Amino acid sequence: MGVFEYVWAGVMAVFAGPEAFAIFGVGISITLLMVAFGFFLGIVIGATPGLGGPFVMAVSLPVLISIFGFTPDALLPIMGFLVGVMKGATVGGSVPAILFNTPGTPDALMTTLDGYPMTKKGQAGKALRTAHFASASGDTFSDLVLFTTAPFLAILVEGYLGFAEKAALIILSLSFVAAVVGASPMKGLIAAFLGLLIASVGTGEDLYPRMSMGTDFLANGVPLITAVLGVLIMGEVFSSFEQMWRDRRTEAATAEIPQSGDNSLSFRERRKLMPFIGVSAVVGTVIGALPGIGSTLAATLGYATGQKMHKGPVNFGEGTPEGVAATEAANSSVSGANLIPVLSLGIPGNVGAVFLILAAESIGGFNPGPSVFRFTTTEVNPELVIAFGLFTTMMFANILNWTFGGQFMRWVGIMVKIPKPALMPIVFLLTITAVYVQETSMLSVYFLLGFGLLGYVMRKIRMPILPFVISFILAGNLETALRQAFAVSKADPLFLFRSPLSVVFLALSIIVVIFFSRGKKSDPKMTSEVS
Amino acid sequence: MKLGRIKSTLVAVALASSMATAAVAEWQPSGPIKLMIAFRAGGGVDTSARLLAEELTARHGWEIIPENVAGRGGAAMAAALKDEPADGLAIGMTAMDSLAYGVLAAKNPGFTPEDFTYLSAITGTQTGLIAKSSRGWKNLGDVIAAAKAGEEISAGAMSAKLADALYLIGQANGVEFTTVMVQGGKGGLNGVVADDLDIAWAAGPQTQGVKAGDLVNLVSAESAPLNISPDAPLLNEYNVEFTFGTKFGVVAPAGLDPEARKVLQDAIVEVVNDPESKLNQFITRAFSGPEPIAGEDFDAFMAAAREESERFLKAVE
Repeated sequence: MGVFEYVWAGVMAVFAGPEAFAIFGVGISITLLMVAFGFFLGIVIGATPGLGGPFVMAVSLPVLISIFGFTPDALLPIMGFLVGVMKGATVGGSVPAILFNTPGTPDALMTTLDGYPMTKKGQAGKALRTAHFASASGDTFSDLVLFTTAPFLAILVEGYLGFAEKAALIILSLSFVAAVVGASPMKGLIAAFLGLLIASVGTGEDLYPRMSMGTDFLANGVPLITAVLGVLIMGEVFSSFEQMWRDRRTEAATAEIPQSGDNSLSFRERRKLMPFIGVSAVVGTVIGALPGIGSTLAATLGYATGQKMHKGPVNFGEGTPEGVAATEAANSSVSGANLIPVLSLGIPGNVGAVFLILAAESIGGFNPGPSVFRFTTTEVNPELVIAFGLFTTMMFANILNWTFGGQFMRWVGIMVKIPKPALMPIVFLLTITAVYVQETSMLSVYFLLGFGLLGYVMRKIRMPILPFVISFILAGNLETALRQAFAVSKADPLFLFRSPLSVVFLALSIIVVIFFSRGKKSDPKMTSEVS
Repeated sequence: MKLGRIKSTLVAVALASSMATAAVAEWQPSGPIKLMIAFRAGGGVDTSARLLAEELTARHGWEIIPENVAGRGGAAMAAALKDEPADGLAIGMTAMDSLAYGVLAAKNPGFTPEDFTYLSAITGTQTGLIAKSSRGWKNLGDVIAAAKAGEEISAGAMSAKLADALYLIGQANGVEFTTVMVQGGKGGLNGVVADDLDIAWAAGPQTQGVKAGDLVNLVSAESAPLNISPDAPLLNEYNVEFTFGTKFGVVAPAGLDPEARKVLQDAIVEVVNDPESKLNQFITRAFSGPEPIAGEDFDAFMAAAREESERFLKAVE
């Protein structure tokens, strides 16, 4: 099979895959349906303050796996759904940020800086159109970069990286996440080490359970999805319970501001935005492609770059469309590029990618890594077909975004009126149900609540969650790579420092931590990657 | 006297009635059967187990709930299954070697081979030592020659036993390999393809690459030649008296009622042997094909496997 046949097979796997139902004899593929469902749900959830894409992904993943099962046929519908949610939530997150000055997702924080002032000037419609245009452009751009570079990069990376370099690269990724996310790199590092520590329980190569303290309870280790849901979702739920308890007297209704300004977005205006969108899309794509850094940083950098470029009459921060465009193009272009390290190395950079990896790990039949991009000619490489199928679902979500996304997102402004006291208990119960559906044991519910408590405490002491989650997921890969590098070096104690490339990676991981430790502003709003 | 008569009458009645029910109806599971799988979801063994469950449900109407209890080379599943009641409602699919070599090699696995009732084997591995074709090696002899000529040979193994096997092969031929532990069935394959390893064990996933001509099976670790590489030599040609393949099979906790054991193992063997069954077709494609060994034959097979493992461990020491 040649390259184009693989691409075609991937497209067909999506469009001609298992049918959900047929209209006039034409089958509607279940994968397409799941992408569309995920996308629109993502917009709704993204527009709901207090919820975000990660929540939908977390709750639906165990449920979807129990519906679709563990066969490779389940991969595309489930991953398509996750892709849809990821894209929808990115678009939807800007809605409450623009209309009510409350970012629906942390990525949309910078959108409030210009979006809300535009609303105050009566230009909410224009701001929303700008956000959608920039977001869809950035997203599509980044996807195109992914499709063209991922296969070649994966093969290249695999050619140059041995075991030691791979271990060093994972260490670099972890220190990147630890240093970049959150207010304090040291807290980030503590979180990352905590993740490694907990992931060590009950795993490893020995035939007896490690660090289980002799209990059966810990002998099989900590269940992956349960732990991730615990810290990410349950921790957030507990924090919001506390927040609601504190805020119970200051129940302020969000007032809607009457809109009277110029709310259209003409072709000429769109063209004027293009330089900002272009630069931010590149910034976002580059950041997304680096293993370990997420979209919040991309938004910040995109905004800062746009600010430097900007020479218009209205300054950044006072309600200019360029500000909205620069932010939204940057944070939306992360998700596509983020799959480059996911697919070539199995290293996720943001929460969305974490759930894609979890899906692949739980279902099986698709192991993100260099073997995915093996263009075998005589035999079909099913993983490569899945990879191109995944690309197809992303493109399909983009088409949905361009055609229906803008209109749909202007409808969901109403979501902000849902009171948190009604929302959070639902999230609480849904998460428990989702975990129980997959694991069918009370033990996993206790794990979930335990990790929820951990997530709550981490939020209380402003310790970032993402380094914990990513190191928890990568711990197994890191240990394997280290053990292999050590073994292949014939037990050389300096095995990590024998190749120039791994020395560079290790040096960088120290430099990153030092660099971000100096003069890092502690902005409390930036500490949480998830909402 | 009188009491004794009543007693014996009661026993006779009880016996008669139990025989009557046995004759009328075979053992049937009294509820859903939990099928524990000793491997991660999505792999070859997991797929086989799920296909087995599907076929058993279709043929007998039993509700079967597959559950992955992966980890520690099958020891995690064995430890969990041991504590389940022996009522036929909990069975497990595993690599049989985890109940032979695995028990002997582990310091304290938390179970013994006597903790289980052996129902039936299903299929076996197609383990071979692989290398990239571009290296020019045709068989293990070429690799040994290269090592003797001073080349460092790194070799991937996915289990402690296969790592020991590399040591033994080296010892028997006067060379030494640098052994690297790899993860799962594909770890060694990926290492070889990416040039991180020179050679590696692979128990089936190499089929695609060998057919395409990118990879070569240097030697068969099974007692018979490999299906896809019938020309690959056996290990006994290199002074190694052991084989390193394993069977996959289904076990239940010890003390399973013989009637239940018979019903379960017959049902499994029927599915394995039926060329129309999805399981049969899958194991023919992905493993060594149908290899049902049930009942006393299976007990004898396991006894022999343990005996060979003991000899193997002595040889390695």
